[in-house]
Amino acid sequence: MARSPKVLVAKTGLDGHWRGVLVVASTLRDAGFEVIMLGMANADEIVASAVQEDVDIVGLNVGGRIEVVERIIDRLRNEGVAAPVMAGGTIAPQWQERLQGLGVELFPPGSALKDIVTTARRLAGGRERSEL
Amino acid sequence: MGDWRTSSGIPLKNHYGPEDVPDAYRELSAKGPGEPPFLRGSYPEMYRAQPWRIFQLSGFGNPKDENERIRFLLANGSTGFILEHDRNTADHLYDVDHPDVVARREDVGLTGAVTFSIRDYETILDQIPLESTYGHPGGGVVQHGPFALANYWTVARRRGIELSRLRGTGQSDFFLTYLGCITKQQVPATVGLRFNLDIIEFCTEHMPLWVPVSIAGYNGADTGLNAYQELGALFANAVEYLDGVAKRGRFSVDELARGIGGVNFRGSMDLFEDIAKIRASRKMWHDLLRERYRVTDEKALRLRIHTLTAGSAMTYQQPLNNIARGTIMGLAGVLAGTQSLGISGYDEALSIPSEHAHQMSVRIQAILQHETGIRAVADPFGGSYFMESLTAEVEERAWAFFDEIQDQGGFIASLDSGWLHRKAAENQIDEAQRVASGEKVVVGVNEFTDDLAPFEIGAFEHVSDAWEGAMERLKTIRRERDQRRATETLRELERACRGDGNIMVPMMEAVDAEVTMGEVGAVLRDVFGDWDVPIQF
Repeated sequence: MARSPKVLVAKTGLDGHWRGVLVVASTLRDAGFEVIMLGMANADEIVASAVQEDVDIVGLNVGGRIEVVERIIDRLRNEGVAAPVMAGGTIAPQWQERLQGLGVELFPPGSALKDIVTTARRLAGGRERSEL
Repeated sequence: MGDWRTSSGIPLKNHYGPEDVPDAYRELSAKGPGEPPFLRGSYPEMYRAQPWRIFQLSGFGNPKDENERIRFLLANGSTGFILEHDRNTADHLYDVDHPDVVARREDVGLTGAVTFSIRDYETILDQIPLESTYGHPGGGVVQHGPFALANYWTVARRRGIELSRLRGTGQSDFFLTYLGCITKQQVPATVGLRFNLDIIEFCTEHMPLWVPVSIAGYNGADTGLNAYQELGALFANAVEYLDGVAKRGRFSVDELARGIGGVNFRGSMDLFEDIAKIRASRKMWHDLLRERYRVTDEKALRLRIHTLTAGSAMTYQQPLNNIARGTIMGLAGVLAGTQSLGISGYDEALSIPSEHAHQMSVRIQAILQHETGIRAVADPFGGSYFMESLTAEVEERAWAFFDEIQDQGGFIASLDSGWLHRKAAENQIDEAQRVASGEKVVVGVNEFTDDLAPFEIGAFEHVSDAWEGAMERLKTIRRERDQRRATETLRELERACRGDGNIMVPMMEAVDAEVTMGEVGAVLRDVFGDWDVPIQF
């Protein structure tokens, strides 16, 4: 049975700038994704939700330092969550390569919404249970 | 010909003539600046008498890092300063050992210094002459406001400065707290209103030169509200304060109104509409106070305005282009007669400002003040057929939005229900789609996208030991302070919270007793609980 692909969306930091993440989440929902909005969440909370919801993609809104993002990815992989990770937000240019090395698809400010949707479809399609 | 409109959708003609100016505005534009209703400026001589204040946000890392940056800015031409606190801890009133902070400890210090006790405020304010410098202690988020103010004021008091002589502004902004930057935990909006009324009353009694709270339409606008919505919502917020103090009955609106009339607007890339917005705001404030509250104090009737350039207009791509954007947005504020101005760093979309970006922001302001001749003439757009027509249109639409908010039950009701969030979200989505379709051009983002090497800059990264440093200081203060006094003052604070005493009185005692921010937060969370965030997703 095909179902809508599921994206978990979380803010990695406690900074309250929501505009970007809400626009992206709403765009993904309009494109046919089921969006699980976790809000501000730490590594443990993100892993728990990704497992429980069996999501296809983990979407991170980054408003802080790279170490926090790396901790989340480490924890996801250690707990056996294979879902690919997409990240947006104020990602420092000098960190891009390091995050891409971990397989993260990056969407810094100004990224085109259609590129986000296209990438999300490709990543979800990779898990072979999407109708999109 | 195309369909030309302002960013909030007001249709624009190719050119304007006398028939486009409403009669009322024709009469008003014949009056001088400093004359009620102040359409043309709050003061008669405007920038000849006093240039606008160069007022930049600043802070990161450890308190001593923030202190160094503020002194750098003051040495480079800033004429006031705004403290930025670490959002992880300050916005949530957490100490650095709170599990939610420990879980992302590397983020700590990235958006401001960690300032959890009076000792940190003493470090941040070291060597800064508070008796002669206009200061903003931070505390943008409502539940943080009383703590930030109490610390700043206590540092001044310890230096022997009478509070009645202290000049500066608080913030405690509802747009930031309940619309723009929603935190993980926050006191309910009705409690936030109580805090703000307490601050307003405290300042009315003790600190006549201090702006108690500053309504920041900026935060509504950068969350999506358009120009006239920003205005309408800002005055709907002001009405909550004015009605609130009237209901308490301790002070008359006449006594308090002046303190509420220090506000903050967003400067965006829509040059003309922003000028119209700020011009209209002065008249609206005057009319609101005169007609609804019968205020006669002329000082109160003059709105004082801070303008901050839109962070959301600054692009990640080709960041040096943002120097031009900062200049244009700042120029709008100045042409409209702002009293104070902050220009975002050109690296705004990447990080908090580097020292270089910060210096650039104050240099742009110096260039505007000293090289352009702009200070010579007040309200240079006054009497322009186009500008008077647009100002009248913005005003009319702003009052209509104000009325819509009243129909929702008022400003706080429109936040509690999520109505205002939906209004902002509609515009956010619409703008994102217009950028996506190319209808709205953003240079370097969806057009002119060749990113040449000279455009590349890195994001500023603060010192990485902010969390460790704060943990050390936390241990030290808990070891060294008079524990009994700390406990007693916290108990007093809790008593005031549960009763109806002014929260600022015990807050001043508590911070003087070296109570920490997390301890204050624990009391507030225990007494008041959490705001029910109305955004459904």
